[in-house]
Amino acid sequence: MKKSWIVTIASVVIMVPLLLLVVSIKENKADQKAINAVPDIKKFESRSSEWGKYYQRQYDSYMKTRKSDEIKDVLKEEPALVVMWAGYGFAKDYNAPRGHYYALEDNINSLRTGGPVDAQSGPMPTACWTCKSPDVPRLIEKNGELDYYTGKWARFGGEVANTIGCADCHDNKTMKLTATRGYLQQGLDAAGSLKYADASHQEMRSLVCAQCHVEYYFKKTEWTDAKGEKKTANVVTLPWDNGLSAEAMELYYDQREFSDWQHAISKTPMLKAQHPGYEMFVTGVHGKQGLSCADCHMPYVREGGVKYSSHQVGSPLQNIANTCLNCHQGTEKEFRATVERKLERKNELSRTAMSVLAKAHLEAGKAWELGATAEEMKPVLQDIRHAQWRWDFSIASHGSFFHAPEETLRVLGSAINKGQDARLKLRSVLAKYNAANYEAPDFSTKEKAQAIVGLPFGKLVEEKKVFLNGLRGQWIEEGKAKGVYDAKSREGMQFKTSYN
Amino acid sequence: MKFVAVCCVVAAVGLAAFVGHEARVLTYLSGNPKVCINCHTMNTHYATWQHSSHRDSATCVDCHLPRDNFLEKMLAKSRDGYNHSLAMTLGSYGNNLRIKGNAAKRIQANCISCHQELVSQMLANAELYHEKGRMTLDRPCWECHRGLPHGTTRNLLATQNNIGVKEL
Repeated sequence: MKKSWIVTIASVVIMVPLLLLVVSIKENKADQKAINAVPDIKKFESRSSEWGKYYQRQYDSYMKTRKSDEIKDVLKEEPALVVMWAGYGFAKDYNAPRGHYYALEDNINSLRTGGPVDAQSGPMPTACWTCKSPDVPRLIEKNGELDYYTGKWARFGGEVANTIGCADCHDNKTMKLTATRGYLQQGLDAAGSLKYADASHQEMRSLVCAQCHVEYYFKKTEWTDAKGEKKTANVVTLPWDNGLSAEAMELYYDQREFSDWQHAISKTPMLKAQHPGYEMFVTGVHGKQGLSCADCHMPYVREGGVKYSSHQVGSPLQNIANTCLNCHQGTEKEFRATVERKLERKNELSRTAMSVLAKAHLEAGKAWELGATAEEMKPVLQDIRHAQWRWDFSIASHGSFFHAPEETLRVLGSAINKGQDARLKLRSVLAKYNAANYEAPDFSTKEKAQAIVGLPFGKLVEEKKVFLNGLRGQWIEEGKAKGVYDAKSREGMQFKTSYN
Repeated sequence: MKFVAVCCVVAAVGLAAFVGHEARVLTYLSGNPKVCINCHTMNTHYATWQHSSHRDSATCVDCHLPRDNFLEKMLAKSRDGYNHSLAMTLGSYGNNLRIKGNAAKRIQANCISCHQELVSQMLANAELYHEKGRMTLDRPCWECHRGLPHGTTRNLLATQNNIGVKEL
């Protein structure tokens, strides 16, 4: 009897502190919840300034991408490009990239997107918006992916109102990094190297960038809409089924007999590589060490007593102390010199490749002119196709010379080799038609090169100006009426292009 | 009365189990860094480590717990765990945590065990170039290497909005 009492009292006595402990733990958990809570931002909120109200440091640093505003006309610097891209939009206008702040603006102002006069005109498909704006996921959600990818670029001029921003990479409910474009998941799953669903936070710090900084093409897809009307969609697709290397993707395109365009001079079924930044990065030493894009391009910075990831995405060289020197010993000066030397090496091979390729196109053009047959030209064109693809693949992502110098130089080497193979074959064809001594015309300036390829530059600029002074204004009004236009994202923006 | 006693014992045991469950006691058996952010107090340390160059080579326990034998490791873990839960429960900590005593010694030992070549070279140099007994060998590494790996700003309010830390 007495024993029972003792046991009872002891149990009750023990329970008192335990209960207090439960209360304390619950309180701490509530604190944690409050600390980790995120503000309520509505789904598909494409106006970054709305997110910026809650994440001011991130937003302010993101807005600093406006400092990267220099227009560098690459066609002027490398006129061979005009010849290499004859018959394709890139021969019209091609500038070095600027900050994210300008992504949409530059897409709209580029001569490549032409001067549409209504929703059904212009040279480009809707797919061109895909990487430029957080308004895109909303449009995909609205009527489905196939509908979004159908029609002309101008169709969504009034809907796509904001440049790359918060909603492109962050979940509005949890702020977690998330891919808002489906093709990345499909591409990763096709490649099989990393399942999207298994990606860690660290891997996501690269994958959100890989939504755009990858090689893609517009896959023509037939579909039937709800009314039973047959339509063709241009679906953004990553050609990763055979792997992520230049050769694997080349094979992918060859297997499907795909070409982006037929070259205006050499009649080659050409491929255009589009900045395979992620694919190159994973082959390089930093990628292999498990670094992410954000580690160097969005360094962790201190502002007063607070640390955060800088959203001023740009060259890590602007902040060597917080990027390279986080892991490396050495001085800023040494690092700058090392990187410059890498760039020179890439440029050396790239210039050689460009000269070889431009000449190959012009020599092929001459061969056609003299009456060469399709059969004679077939192996030549295959070489040109592969050579230019490889050159483009190596340099289109700009940073590849640093991200993966060995791979970049390797692929450039094979581009030069294939290009010279084409020219060797061409010499026998030319000799057959008594033009063994043919020399390609001079393409040493942008104007000369554009004249050779017969590009009506003046006309393109006129059309663009009509568009900018007309339809463009209507789009802005439309965006305002729909409540998606963010005036803050354009404060103090200057109109800068290569043609004005 | 016997029945009441049994009920009370069952209730006490149940409550203890519930406390354990609420405090995620079992997770502490693992060495995963995410366990350390069971408490938000460690958010800043987790975030700063996650952005440091030590991130790929050492987790929390690699530096903060002894690595030479399992028993030592568990003892140290329990000791820290007790101190931490006490501080959490009583709220007896400020926003600037500083390591000291036994915990600091452990870290120093771990610095040395990983960076052995470097340290033995330093010792060899000291023996060659300094008078015997003039060199103090007990200064912690982080007296000079102040930013490693958590940075010099490690106030608990320093890493707001850090999404990497929220994925519990």
